[in-house]
Amino acid sequence: MSNNPQQLSVIGTLPKGTASDLDLISYWESVWLRLCRNRLAMFGLWCIAGLCLLAVGAPLLSLNQPLYWNAGQGAQFPWLWSLFNRLLFENSVDLFFNTILVALPLWTLGYLLWAKKRRLLSRKLLPKYLMMALGFHVALLCALGPSRFIFVDNPLYVTRPVLNYRVEEQRLHGAGQAVSSVFPMREWSYRETDPAQSVQGPSAEHWLGTDTEGRDVFARMLYGTRISLTIGVVAVLLYVGIGVVLGALAGYFGGWVDNVISRAIEVMICFPSFFLILTLAALIEERSIFHVMIIIGVTSWTGVARLIRAEFLKQKNLDYAQAAVALGLSQTRIIFRHLLPNSIAPVLVTATFGIASAILIESSLSFLGIGDVTAASWGQTLNAGRLEQKLWLVLAPGFAIFFVVSVFNLVGEGLRDALDPKLKS
Amino acid sequence: MRAYIIRRLLLMIPTFIGISLMLFVVLNVAPGRPGKQAGDVAADSRKEGTQESYRIFREQFNLDKPVLFNTLFALQQSDIERAVHAAFGGEHISPRERILAQQKLEDYGAFAVPHLVALTRDYDARKELQLRDTAVYFLRLAARQPLIDQFNPHPSVQVRAENTRIDRENGEINAMRYAFDAPEDQKQAVIAAWYKWFEPKVGRFSYSFAQKVDIFFFETRFAKYWSNLLRLDFGVSLVSREPVVATLISKLKYSLSLSVLSLILAYVIAIPLGIFSAVKKGTKADKSVTVLLFMLYSLPSFFVATLVLIFFSQGSDTQWLRWFPTGGFQSRDFSDLTVIGKIKDVSWHLVLPLICLTYGSLAALSRYMRSGLLEVLQADYVRTARAKGLPESSVIGKHALRNGLLPILTLLAGLLPAVLGGSVIIEYIFGIPGMGLWTIDAIYQRDYNVIMAVELLSTVLVLVGILLTDLSYALVDPRIRYS
Repeated sequence: MSNNPQQLSVIGTLPKGTASDLDLISYWESVWLRLCRNRLAMFGLWCIAGLCLLAVGAPLLSLNQPLYWNAGQGAQFPWLWSLFNRLLFENSVDLFFNTILVALPLWTLGYLLWAKKRRLLSRKLLPKYLMMALGFHVALLCALGPSRFIFVDNPLYVTRPVLNYRVEEQRLHGAGQAVSSVFPMREWSYRETDPAQSVQGPSAEHWLGTDTEGRDVFARMLYGTRISLTIGVVAVLLYVGIGVVLGALAGYFGGWVDNVISRAIEVMICFPSFFLILTLAALIEERSIFHVMIIIGVTSWTGVARLIRAEFLKQKNLDYAQAAVALGLSQTRIIFRHLLPNSIAPVLVTATFGIASAILIESSLSFLGIGDVTAASWGQTLNAGRLEQKLWLVLAPGFAIFFVVSVFNLVGEGLRDALDPKLKS
Repeated sequence: MRAYIIRRLLLMIPTFIGISLMLFVVLNVAPGRPGKQAGDVAADSRKEGTQESYRIFREQFNLDKPVLFNTLFALQQSDIERAVHAAFGGEHISPRERILAQQKLEDYGAFAVPHLVALTRDYDARKELQLRDTAVYFLRLAARQPLIDQFNPHPSVQVRAENTRIDRENGEINAMRYAFDAPEDQKQAVIAAWYKWFEPKVGRFSYSFAQKVDIFFFETRFAKYWSNLLRLDFGVSLVSREPVVATLISKLKYSLSLSVLSLILAYVIAIPLGIFSAVKKGTKADKSVTVLLFMLYSLPSFFVATLVLIFFSQGSDTQWLRWFPTGGFQSRDFSDLTVIGKIKDVSWHLVLPLICLTYGSLAALSRYMRSGLLEVLQADYVRTARAKGLPESSVIGKHALRNGLLPILTLLAGLLPAVLGGSVIIEYIFGIPGMGLWTIDAIYQRDYNVIMAVELLSTVLVLVGILLTDLSYALVDPRIRYS
């Protein structure tokens, strides 16, 4: 039904809010329509989209490498090559976003071509295309090995001495040499330290001041978006994955499987998870951001598992599930293609709120000084501000965390209302 | 009902054991030396004195034993040979590996003795003298017997006699040593003494099946920890050497007063706010309250805490805003104050932390209150009450409120552990010497006994909280019956 172009045009012209029209469209389309009518939630969604763009486009907004550079020896494009330099971008999360940034024009082109071929430049295809592109991207990065988890040399990720072009330009200007260059909007890297400039207030040079090591706070806020979004999304995907599989098994098979998994859930619920996260994070030497994600993911899957289990218990006795059994479909197919899509709705709400809380946990960990040291985490800057008792160092990361958390909470609430319209009235 | 409670209490035991097992494994398998800050692995392993004291430390806290199962009786000669090689060092062995191997050999203790003797013979025959010297060195360390019940301050007479004997033997063993640069014939004499020493004791180092089973299950860290735990002995702090339980109780005073006060405050504000919001549903007042609560709900507490400290504490830049202290639970001259002065002093210190700890749960509670009351207000009996012509105050205050309060009252049991956990960061920021700050310090210093005690305590709190929640559902809602 969803692939039928005529049906799509019906949705496009749907008059708002009449029940008879809603009958024509699928459950998820009606949820989407209800969500569209929630202005706050839509605002939240747009903000999330904007945050994603900021995260991807951060090097365009702040980096000490010029997009174009000509000091009399011909044109150079240091910015492009610096994107894959380990010395500028220490964290492998950056590699992920930088490759997206480089591939983005290609994607757009691909999308246009693809959509044209399907003769359907409809908005409906965009999410599908985005998912495909993202999946392709992640697969590519996994294959190339972004970190030391996979023991192959990454051809993308090089270690090359970095020339600080901003300083170089000043030097050349001082020497009276003509230089033509185009820098990104701000010319700071989030790693560039300058002891002479530590804890400076906001100025025209550093919009949000500098932290204790003289790093530009604006750049750190910008690149911190990447860390927060990645932490939130990956940790939640991880525990939704664990929770869905365990919950589905428990709910579908029942019996001893259910017993074992339910006991495990009970044990995990009683786990002092915040203490455990603290302990684990502190005990791991050379923490990376992936450790934090894995720890959050492994300790918080119980909510999802319980929801899915309850839904499965309900759904597996419904007619359509019985029909699937009667048709002789395989159990994997029944679980994942028939029951799961009908049970996943409440999980979506939990996951959206979960992203917010994962971001909070990560920032409190790095606030306590037990996060990833190499990551430009907001909590780290906030802690620096606390130690220095400087307002501008506290406000910027604090509001960044607050903004992201409340945006995800807004979307979560909107989603909850959209999924369960009975609750709202 | 009573049967239900008993069943639930019994079910708690395996859950508790399971959790403690997982916590224990996680803590003990994690890398790093306990009782030390992370990072200084090799700092003081060179001097013999510190090495000796660290060995005693490891023995005292059973850190020389395997975590869950002890299979050391099945050690092969090749294992020991590899360890001796690594402990001796060489080109392909990093300093870290070397130190770890030395540690391992010491931890094997008596289990390594027969293999070390055999190895010494081998190396001597093969004329690998340096390796032989290393083996003899570790043989001396391994052959020492630990004292019986050595950390008991009041041993019985037999134990003391036995310990004297062991001590004498250990003294003899300790004398069977030589410097690495000693002449060869002196070394040979010492080695011959070792062979002579070992001959009559072969039986001591071979184990019967029953002994193996006993070692396998009980000569482990977990078994030792649990045998202490059953006596409610949580051990002593690895850092301060004070009993964990006593410190925990003294710390609990601060944490509990903070969290209980915060809970009371949250309820006292949240209930009227929720009622107000529900009654005035849809008005501007309701909308602004909802927005405000939503914002409070999303504000990270460490951000707010830092902000209020910057604005309203003694360290504030603005002269006239220096209302509150920068941290701590009480002033330095606390003991000199009168009772009223003491109360004043503590509350002066607690205002800022309380605000930061409360607003989050306040926002959550009041949203629950609002939605709970809204649900009740749609019920038939409320419409009936209105139809009877009762005044609105009576409809809401008497008919609706009673049922509307249920959901947030049952939340209470679950909130206490959550608030205790949440106070970690608040205590850290405000420097309140409670459980949270203590835990963070313990985590930084790898003080395993303290971490275990705190985590077990909070597990118990959660378990009891869940039980109380379930029971309170049944108490307040007669429709729910447990059997």
